[in-house]
Amino acid sequence: MSILSFFQWLQSTDFMTFIRESGLTYPIIMSTHLTCIAIFGGMIVITDLRLLGVALQDRPIADVVNGLRWWKRLGFVIMFSMGFMLLGSKAPEYYPNPYFWTKMSFLALVFIHAMIFRPRVYNHPEKLDASPVIPTRAKAAATLSLVLWTGVVCAGRLIGYYEPPQQKGHVVSVGASK
Amino acid sequence: MFVLLLLQNAIADVLNSSEWVFPITECFHITAFAWSIGLIALVDFRLLGVGMKRETTPQIAKAVAPWTLLGLAVVLLSGPVLFLSDPRMYLYNPSFRFKIGALLIAIVFNYTIHRKVALSDSASAGVRVLVGVVSLALWISVVFGGLFIAFA
Repeated sequence: MSILSFFQWLQSTDFMTFIRESGLTYPIIMSTHLTCIAIFGGMIVITDLRLLGVALQDRPIADVVNGLRWWKRLGFVIMFSMGFMLLGSKAPEYYPNPYFWTKMSFLALVFIHAMIFRPRVYNHPEKLDASPVIPTRAKAAATLSLVLWTGVVCAGRLIGYYEPPQQKGHVVSVGASK
Repeated sequence: MFVLLLLQNAIADVLNSSEWVFPITECFHITAFAWSIGLIALVDFRLLGVGMKRETTPQIAKAVAPWTLLGLAVVLLSGPVLFLSDPRMYLYNPSFRFKIGALLIAIVFNYTIHRKVALSDSASAGVRVLVGVVSLALWISVVFGGLFIAFA
């Protein structure tokens, strides 16, 4: 099964058809997606700022990382579920959209970032606190995290601006263009 | 009045001269609002007893304050640029009006009652929960209002 035929099947399911065809459901899901990005984003930002040593310097890194670990996971699950519904309800329209694939690529890089830096940074924050200076690997993880998530957010917004060639000049229905 | 109208048209012309000005400004706006609202939410969640529980609310509130302000500055600089690209559309858009109302209340609340309770060591549990919930509700209203501009 190709990705496109999977997308077509996904869109045709009863659940995704319901989302697409009921007027308010789609923007409400999108607003919830955006709210989760903000709330989840704040947890990422404070973690990264702490790892960079520019916020909460007088508090242990372990407090920040451990205190937010499960809330970040919860936020990610809600955000991802909402995003999946947005995608699923209009999947074939997302398929040719280069910004959608840019966003997916950034998310793939976020996944690789987690694979690399979880064992080295996030899973053992006490080790970072024991070091006299914040290790370079922690600062690298924080910087990359900020860059990658900014990429996810910006590419996500640009999805709404893509016009497929044959529809130039018409209103695009994916996302919310101006 | 006529001069203002000409000025507004000139600004809108610049903003609409490239198809990239608006989307890029929007990226700044969205990244910065996620940044600042997310940091405020950390304080709200701490008021509700959730999140970084080994830190006190005043510790979190003081730590995030300058970064929140930085984010809000970018939001409040990019927002008017978006607005000026098509002021009439926005002014007559009910979602936009709702958003601006919620935003003004949210900012005033954030720098008065919210700040006072977040920096206090003696606020009662009831007051802390109420302020956390009101703050979250206000900022979520701003996000919903902003997104619905494109739909309503």
